[in-house]
Amino acid sequence: MSEDASYVPTAQLNVKPKTLLLITGGGLAAGTLIVLGAIMPAEYNLDPLGLGELSGLARLWAPEEKTWQPGAGMDPAHSSNIPSARTVVEIPLGASDWPEAALEYKFAMKPGQTLLYKWQALNEDGSPVTVPVEFDFHGHTLAKDGEEMTVANYYKSEALADEGALMAPFDGIHGWYFKNHAPDPIRIRLEVEGYYELVPPGQPGNEFRIQPLSGQPEDQALEENDGQ
Amino acid sequence: MDAGNSSTRTLWIAAAAIAAAILAPAAYAHAIGGKDAAFVAATVGPDPLPFMYLGAKHMVTGYDHLLFLLGVIFFLYRLKDVLLYVSLFSLGHSTTLLIGVLADINVSSFLVDAVIGVSVSYKAFENLGGFRRMGVSIDNRLAVGGFGLIHGFGLATKLQDLELNPNGLVENLLAFNVGVEIGQLIALSLILAVMTLWRTTRSFPRFAIAANALLFLAGVVLAGQQLAGFFIVGEG
Repeated sequence: MSEDASYVPTAQLNVKPKTLLLITGGGLAAGTLIVLGAIMPAEYNLDPLGLGELSGLARLWAPEEKTWQPGAGMDPAHSSNIPSARTVVEIPLGASDWPEAALEYKFAMKPGQTLLYKWQALNEDGSPVTVPVEFDFHGHTLAKDGEEMTVANYYKSEALADEGALMAPFDGIHGWYFKNHAPDPIRIRLEVEGYYELVPPGQPGNEFRIQPLSGQPEDQALEENDGQ
Repeated sequence: MDAGNSSTRTLWIAAAAIAAAILAPAAYAHAIGGKDAAFVAATVGPDPLPFMYLGAKHMVTGYDHLLFLLGVIFFLYRLKDVLLYVSLFSLGHSTTLLIGVLADINVSSFLVDAVIGVSVSYKAFENLGGFRRMGVSIDNRLAVGGFGLIHGFGLATKLQDLELNPNGLVENLLAFNVGVEIGQLIALSLILAVMTLWRTTRSFPRFAIAANALLFLAGVVLAGQQLAGFFIVGEG
């Protein structure tokens, strides 16, 4: 102990320089790896090394939520700057014990845009389902990094079918979470008509890459018949 | 072989505890949140006991403060030394906790928490004899007291985030500070008890290196996480 008198000595380890270098170098490298590879993807939605995507940690990230409250009156009438559309989608849901038993499908809508919706749960052979489907009808904004996400919960319940109308309260994606409780795979046949845009497959709101049926020959025929 | 097995177990327990501390909460430092935040925001006038509780809770669950304390007392064998260093640390963090809140000094909590992370690595490096190796001699008392000041700013920023009501501010602040010291005492007793037991094992010197290496890593992760928060989220 060669310290001077005013120095209060505390015991220390006597680590070889090589070990010390290994510990500090290794600590800095491993720490940086944990921050860049795990904490940044999971907490800040940034993935500089691509490890968050690879490990699935990136899926942990979610923006902070703010619940939208009805109240602020919206204009009852809206002139649309896009033509009305009609879409039929079939959303496949796996048997209740599969992970694919639940999924979400939404439409992109601006505030005031309205759509009429009508859905029915069908068995694979097209017959009506007898076990009610759990659903959560809601919408939310697409928040950028660091922004809060506004969420509007319209209603949730269990049903075999449902229909109604929605006027979007804010710019975002609006639609359904469906969960099948039957032991067999089913599909939700959803028909919408009004002012909205389809979410491209893979984008938020259509993560399950569902392609609409409309646009196919039989549906065009259906649309023409409706028009007459 | 027996001693080897039990010491391996000790190492794994120590490693698991430190790993849990690193990986558990992450993200937004270690803030006062949820119902506690709502309570603080709603409080008008002096309300010492709840604030004391919040101070103690903040310290006991504050893994960044606890890791630093662990590093500080790692090689303190005499109770006299433990008391000296812990008092220096308390003096430091009480000073800046009170001044920070009362003078309304605004520091980014990300930056303060990053320096707290650095303090953990600093102490581990010191325990490993790193500074002596480099021929640098820093008075340990100064370092612990100085980092105490930084830890106090960390406590202050967490309280400032909560928009304390000016009515009863001083009383509540003092109560919070007393709570912090009580929480520190509780946590310290536990750490000290475990350390004392651990030191009696023959394998202690060998695993002391590993434990301080993990402590160093934990400090790097804490600092990196807060720096990432500062640059990505900005003013926190």
